[in-house]
Amino acid sequence: MASAGQGGPPPTMEYGGDEVGALVLDPGTETTRAGFAGEDLPKRVIASQYGYIPPTEEGGEGQYFLDDINILRRRGGMEVKWPMQDGIVEDWDGAARVWKEALVPQLCESLAENPLIVTEPAWNPVKNREKTTELMFEQFDVPAFYLARSAVCAAFANGKSTCLVVDVGHSNVSVTPVYDGLILKKGTQKTPLGGAFINQQCRAIFAQRNPPIDLTPYNLIDKRARVDIDEPAHPEMRKFPDQDIPHTASWLKWCQDRLVHDFKETIVQTYQQPSGSFSEQHLATQPPRLYEFPTGFNTNFGSERYKIAETMFQPTLATINPDDPLPFDPATVHSIGQIVKDSLQGIDVDVRQAVLANIVVVGGGSLLFGFTDRLQNELQSLYPTVRVKIYASMHAAERKYAGFLGGSILASLGTFHQLWISRREYDEHGAGIVEKRCK
Amino acid sequence: MSRSGVGLDKECVPAFEDLKLGRDKSTKFIIFKLSDDKKSIIVEKKGTEPDYDSFTAALPENDCRYAVYDFEYDLVSGEGKRQKLCFFTWSPDDAPVRSKMVYASSKDALRRALNGIHADVQGSDFSEVAYETVLEKVSKGQGSK
Ligand SMILES: Nc1ncnc2c1ncn2[C@@H]1O[C@H](COP(=O)(O)OP(=O)(O)OP(=O)(O)O)[C@@H](O)[C@H]1O
Ligand SMILES: [Mg+2]
Repeated sequence: MASAGQGGPPPTMEYGGDEVGALVLDPGTETTRAGFAGEDLPKRVIASQYGYIPPTEEGGEGQYFLDDINILRRRGGMEVKWPMQDGIVEDWDGAARVWKEALVPQLCESLAENPLIVTEPAWNPVKNREKTTELMFEQFDVPAFYLARSAVCAAFANGKSTCLVVDVGHSNVSVTPVYDGLILKKGTQKTPLGGAFINQQCRAIFAQRNPPIDLTPYNLIDKRARVDIDEPAHPEMRKFPDQDIPHTASWLKWCQDRLVHDFKETIVQTYQQPSGSFSEQHLATQPPRLYEFPTGFNTNFGSERYKIAETMFQPTLATINPDDPLPFDPATVHSIGQIVKDSLQGIDVDVRQAVLANIVVVGGGSLLFGFTDRLQNELQSLYPTVRVKIYASMHAAERKYAGFLGGSILASLGTFHQLWISRREYDEHGAGIVEKRCK
Repeated sequence: MSRSGVGLDKECVPAFEDLKLGRDKSTKFIIFKLSDDKKSIIVEKKGTEPDYDSFTAALPENDCRYAVYDFEYDLVSGEGKRQKLCFFTWSPDDAPVRSKMVYASSKDALRRALNGIHADVQGSDFSEVAYETVLEKVSKGQGSK
C-alpha cells in the first residue's frame, strides 16, 4: 500500500489478506461524523439534515442540498429535512444521501473498497438494523460491514466494560447500562430533554422579552450598526436574486438553531446544587452576562442563564411559549435524574452499584457549562449511600465524538477482522445476520 | 470470541485453575496482559508475595491489565476465614485510549473462561483497588482485616 500521506487512511487493519483502512460512520440526529478507523477524530462532521426544493413541474426531480455550507445558503422555497428522529432513521432516502455525502468523495472514491463500521443507538429496532445492513451491501456496495452500539463504543473508549452510559444528544438524553460489553435493553431509558429542547427553551426565553428578541440569522443580514444595550437594532437586510421566492420556516429555524447553539455555548450554565435548591431570586443576584445577537441587539442574561439548563433536571420549570408548544407535557416528562432511576429499576440489584460507580457521560449536550458536576451532585443526592462516580473526558471532542472514537479503535484492531459481516456472509444469510453478529 | 476478536492464550485457564484449587500453593495472584501482537491475552506474572500491596504495586500506573487475586479475610463475627477469588479489570485514567479500548472490549474472552469468581472489580485509580475498598465489596461488610 502506498504510504498514507496526510489525510490518507492509516494501514491499520487486515482484510482479506490486504491491508485496507476501514471507514467509520457515526450518524446522529444533528450531525453525522465520518472518518478512518484508527483515528481519534472524525475527518468529516456534517449536518444530518438536507435542503430540498420540490420539483416545479409534475414528474420533475426535486433538488437536494447537502453539507452545512450548501444548506446555509438562502434559496427560495428550500425546505430543511431531518432524516433522523430520536437517533433513528425515519427517511431512508435522505439518510442514505447524508451518509454518502459524509464519506464520498472526501474519504474514499467508492465504498466498494473499504469495510465500514456504523454506530447506532441502543433502541434501534431490529427492522432498522436489518435495513441499514441491506442498504450498506445493496446500495453502498461495501465489502464488509459492522453495526456497533454507540453506547458500547463510548463505554470501551472510557475503559469500561460495565458502566452506565449517559448520552446527552440533540434529540434526547439516554441512559444505557452496559454489562460485560453488552447493552442491557431492559435498563435503557430516554427522555426528550436533549439539545433540541434546550434550544427551544432559549427561544422561549427570547420570545418572553418585551419586545421579543429578533433571531434573524447572520446570513440574512447585510449591515448592522452598533447599538447601546437594550436599544432597538435596525440591521439592513441582504437582498437575494431569488428574493421574490420566500425562504421556508424550516430553513429559517435551522439557521437560527446555529445561533442558539452559540448562545448555549457561551451563556447557558448549569446550576450546581441538586434539584430542590434552585432559586431564581438567589440567582438574580449573580452577575449577568451580555450577549449580542446578529441584528446588533445586545442585552443581559441573568438568572435565565441557569433556568434554561435547570429544566433538564426539573422539567416543570420549563418556560412555556404558546406560539411554540413543547412536544411533551413538562409535568409528566421524566427528568435526567428520573431516567437514571428508571434505568436502575430495570436491572439486577447487583449490577446497580457497579454501574453507579462507573457513569460514562458523552454527547454534545453534556458540554453545557457545569453539566457533569451537576449530574454528579444530582445522582449522589438521589443515592446518598452509594458511591457515584462520573467519567467524562476533559476533551470536548472525545465527548462529542465518543461513539466515533470507540468504533474507530474497535475497527482498527488487528483481531476485529473476524467480526465483520463479509459480503459473502450477507449473500448467504441475508440482512438477518446482523442480529447474530452485532450484539 | 470477545467483542474485539482478541482470544485467550492456552496458559490462562490452567494458571487460574491452579490458583483456585490451591494446586499452586505459592501463587496469590495472577496478572494477565495483552500479548505484544495484541491478538491474545497471556499470563504476565504469577505473584507469590503474600501481601496485598505487592499485588497493587504490580499494576502499571499508566497501562491496563486484568488480574485475579485470591482474597482472604476474617469474618467480623469471628467465625473464621473466608477465601474469595476476585477478578480485576485495571484501566487507569492515564492509560492510552487504545489500551483502554482493547482491554474493555476483550475482557469477556478471559472473564467468561474463569469459573468460580466471586467479585468483579473495575479499577481506574489505586483507591478503587485498595484493600479496604475490595474487602467491603467482597465481604459485603462482613469482613475485617
Ligand atoms: N459546548 C456546548 N454547549 C452546549 N451544547 C452543546 C455544546 N456543543 C454541542 N452542544 C449541543 O449538543 C447537541 C448535539 O449533540 P450530539 O452531537 O451528541 O447529538 P447527535 O448525536 O447529533 O444527536 P442524537 O444523539 O440526539 O441523535 C446539540 O444540541 C448541540 O447544540
Ligand atoms: Mg448521538
